[in-house]
Formats: sequence, C-alpha cells, structure tokens
Amino acid sequence: MATVGIKGYAYCLNHAPETGLRYGNTPHVERETKGETEFLKELPSFLQSYEEAKDYAPNQAYIGGMPIEKLEEIPQPWYGNRLTGSGRYGSYGEIMPEDEFIGLMDICDVFDIIWLEKGFAASVRKKLSESPVMNGSVLSRLEEGHDLSEIENETAHRKALPLFHGGKTVGCVRNGHDVDDCLFAYVLLENLASKAGGLLSLLHLLKNTGMAPEEIDFVVECSEEAAGDMNQRGGGNFAKAIAEIAGCVNASGFDVRSFCAGPVNGMIAAASQVACGARKNCAVVAGGAVPKLFMNGRDHVKKKMPALEDCLGGFAVLLVPDDGTLPVMRLDVLGKHSVGAGSSPQAVTSALILDPLERAGLTFLDVDKYAAEMHINEITLPAGAGDVPLANIKMTAALAVTKKAIEKADMMTFVKERGVPGIAHTQGHIPSGVPFIGHACDALKEGRMKRAMIIGKGSLFLARLTNLADGASFLLEPPSGARGGASTVSKDDIKSLLLEVLAELSGKLQ
Amino acid sequence: MGKLAGKKILLLGERDGVPGPAMEACLKDSGAEVVFSVTECFV
Repeated sequence: MATVGIKGYAYCLNHAPETGLRYGNTPHVERETKGETEFLKELPSFLQSYEEAKDYAPNQAYIGGMPIEKLEEIPQPWYGNRLTGSGRYGSYGEIMPEDEFIGLMDICDVFDIIWLEKGFAASVRKKLSESPVMNGSVLSRLEEGHDLSEIENETAHRKALPLFHGGKTVGCVRNGHDVDDCLFAYVLLENLASKAGGLLSLLHLLKNTGMAPEEIDFVVECSEEAAGDMNQRGGGNFAKAIAEIAGCVNASGFDVRSFCAGPVNGMIAAASQVACGARKNCAVVAGGAVPKLFMNGRDHVKKKMPALEDCLGGFAVLLVPDDGTLPVMRLDVLGKHSVGAGSSPQAVTSALILDPLERAGLTFLDVDKYAAEMHINEITLPAGAGDVPLANIKMTAALAVTKKAIEKADMMTFVKERGVPGIAHTQGHIPSGVPFIGHACDALKEGRMKRAMIIGKGSLFLARLTNLADGASFLLEPPSGARGGASTVSKDDIKSLLLEVLAELSGKLQ
Repeated sequence: MGKLAGKKILLLGERDGVPGPAMEACLKDSGAEVVFSVTECFV
C-alpha cells in the first residue's frame, strides 16, 4: 500500500476587515458600479473587532485553539455565544491582526508594489518582531516606509489602491504595469495577500514540525489566485515565491489549481512525489482570497448580524516518507471525479466516496469522519446557501442507505456521528476538506479515530471552460507502527517471494 | 410526456445541491424545452 506520513500541519487566519470593506468582491463591485449605497454605508457598523474575531469559536477551532468536538457543545449562534479571553495562538497557528498582516504583505513584496507609511511600518516592525515564527531574515524585508504625502500622491494620481488601518490610510498597493491589467494594483493585492497568508502558514508549519527552512525539499501551492502577466495570465508560481521568503533555499515548487478542489489535488500531487521517492518531503501550502471577504455581507447586514467573513484563511501540511510513526495518507484508493462520472449528487458522492471505499474493501461504517466543504454554517445559512457540510454528509448517508450499508432509520445517527462541523471561512479552496487534516491527525495519533476521509470539490464551471465540476478525496489512517510505504520492500522480502514462485513453478513442472 | 410537455424551463443548479446538467438529464424526456441552464457556486 502506498502511504506517506503527515509530519505536521498549520492553520492560520488573517483578520482583514478594512481590506475586505474596500476590496472584498461584493463591496468592491457594489462601490464600482453603484457608488456608496446603503449597504456600503451600513456594512462598517456590522464588523467584528479583532477581539471578537478571536473569541469566535469556529476561528479558535480552525487554528487549533480548541478541539473541534468542543465546538459542537457550544450553542449557536456562535457569534452570540462567544468565548472569553481566547488566545491569538492555537496549537496549529494564529489569528493575525490586520496591521501585522499588511506588514506581512510588504515583506512578501519584492517589486516595491506595497508602500507603507513610515510610522505604521515602524509600529508593525515592533509587533512582528514579537512573533514566535518571524526571524531576522524575514523581518529584514519590511520596508522603512514612505511619507504619507507620497502615498497619497500614488493613490490620487497613479492608480494605487489605499490600504487602511483604524480608518486611516497606512499604505498603498501600486500598479505593476501601466497597461497590463494582470498587473494592476487590485490583482497584485489579491496575489500578495495570498502569498502572505501562505507564508504565515508555512512559517508556523516549520515551527510546528521543528524543521529548518533549508530542509524543505518541495512546495506545492494550491490557492485559487492567478499569478502572471497579460501574455501568460496564470503562469505561476506562488509556491516558489512563498518558499523564497520563508528561506527554503533548497526547495523548488509548483502550483496546483482546481478551484476549491485544489488543496486535495495538491495533497495528492505532493504525496505522490514523496511516496515514489522523487522528493524528500513536500509542503502543501495555500493562503486566502481577498475577493471572498464579505462575499455574503449583503445578507448579513440585511439580517442585522455580524459580517462574519472578515478573515483570510491559510494552511500548510508537511508530507514525508511513511516511517510508521506518523498518521498516513493513503494513495492506493484515491477518490476521483472523472469526466464521465456524471454531475448528479449521487454520481459525485459515488465517485468521491463509494468507489474508493469499495476498492479499499471498506464500507461506509469503516470511516469515522467524512470532511467535505467545511464552511461555517452561520455564514452561509443567512445567505440562503444552506449548511454546506451538513448537506454533504447527508448525501453520504443517503448513499450509504441506498447501498444497504446502514438502515434508513439510522441515517441521522450516521450524519451526527460521522459529519464534521464547518470551521472555515468562505474562502473557497480553504474549507474544502483540508481544515480537518489537523484535527484528524491529532485523533489518529491519540487512538481516538481509526480512519477519516478528506473530500474536496471544485466549481470548474465558473471559469466558463466546461460545465463540469471537479472532486478528489483521500483516506487518513493511524500510524502503522512499522516501516510501511510503497518503496520499503526489503531484499529478504523479494528473495522469499522469488523462492515461493520458483517452488510453485517447479511443482507444476514435475 | 407529463405536465411539463411544451413548457419552457429555466434551471438554476447548485454545486453542493443539484447541478444544472443533472436537472437537464432528468427533464430529457419530459417534453419541456430547457431554455437556460446554469450551475452556480454560492460558497
């Protein structure tokens, strides 16, 4: 059986409400097309403070500040039953305040695209220097800053986009080209924000695994942004750009894209390289999506509830050869939504869940948890998009009934026991199964779980190239306790196998 | 042929629910004319 070990994981959020107010796609398009509407005037009064975002239970579950099981014990709405005194840091990562995140974008900028106001830059430098994951090399990339008048000149006359903190202009994102719209300030803001979010998770991954940056062999990046210019608008490569800033001098990398199915496909691409021995290790990394900030904000304002979509998401997972001591990802029974699989919910669920289970000789009840589309339901329900993780596990349960794996009467028990609550912001690729890898690996290591399935689904049809969706899945299992993996068959194993075959052959010849 | 025969149909599908092409397949023999079909993603 081909398996790879999961050595560590990191999950981070970047609190970015003021960036979202201006550049989240819903408010941005509204402002560009209709001006300062009532929605845009009202939205600021529904923002969460950083402290409130920190005390929002799903955010804490995401960064490993609390077990995911505990979340289910807290009555909803979670925004009405906040935790108290939650930490900035969880066991997987952190919730970074917006000023530091703007500083991190500047750290990621190697083309003088981001300008920071001098006083703001100094303040951010001090704060970032206290971070447990920043080192001198990363921090030295932060610029000294510019006079506010220079920044105002850029935004007034050179199409730069202002960056805000505390309601004041603290910097700007400049155009990367005069006529190439792939390099305009809005696109570069998106890309630098995603790069910065990916970097933060990679830095936490290094800390969580005790790895030096130089030890990382390869990086696979799997967000939904496109880096390029007008001649090659999706050319890439976020992975290598992130690895450079993190100091991973011996790493190379590439990007994997498949809308929200990117992370699961990225995990498979990375794991395959490790399993076959092509790479010593692979870090799978993604940052968040600025356009998705306040995507459902209009409905949240209408319902007079907090505009919860104020965080960019990020994650990183380190895959290494299976040494028997780590939770493993199986590569022998991957779920694949093929071109001809069909688009009905039954067809998709069969391709991603039933098919791999049957090939593994397992039934629905052999998997403790199914993690798909882990959107926080309090974000999607008010917008009429339903409880997405619940809808997915219900479909799995329905298929289990159809295949006579469970009785119809037990369907809701299956849903309750084997579903996972949504803990991720509506950041597209981020909720797509991968937020559960950390919690699942903890449970697998501690013997609280025997198997989990991670499922990713992507809306390819949004790009107007195909009507198809995409999907992929894989199984997580506990440490084998012995040297496993595809490439660890010993010489003695081969000798005894040959002797067995020869003995059988000689028996037939007699 | 059922009660949809001769009707014009607009289909709005959803990725985590029922996508447009799946509804189109269901309506294939209904006698209805699908004049618009789309799948949206709300997350």
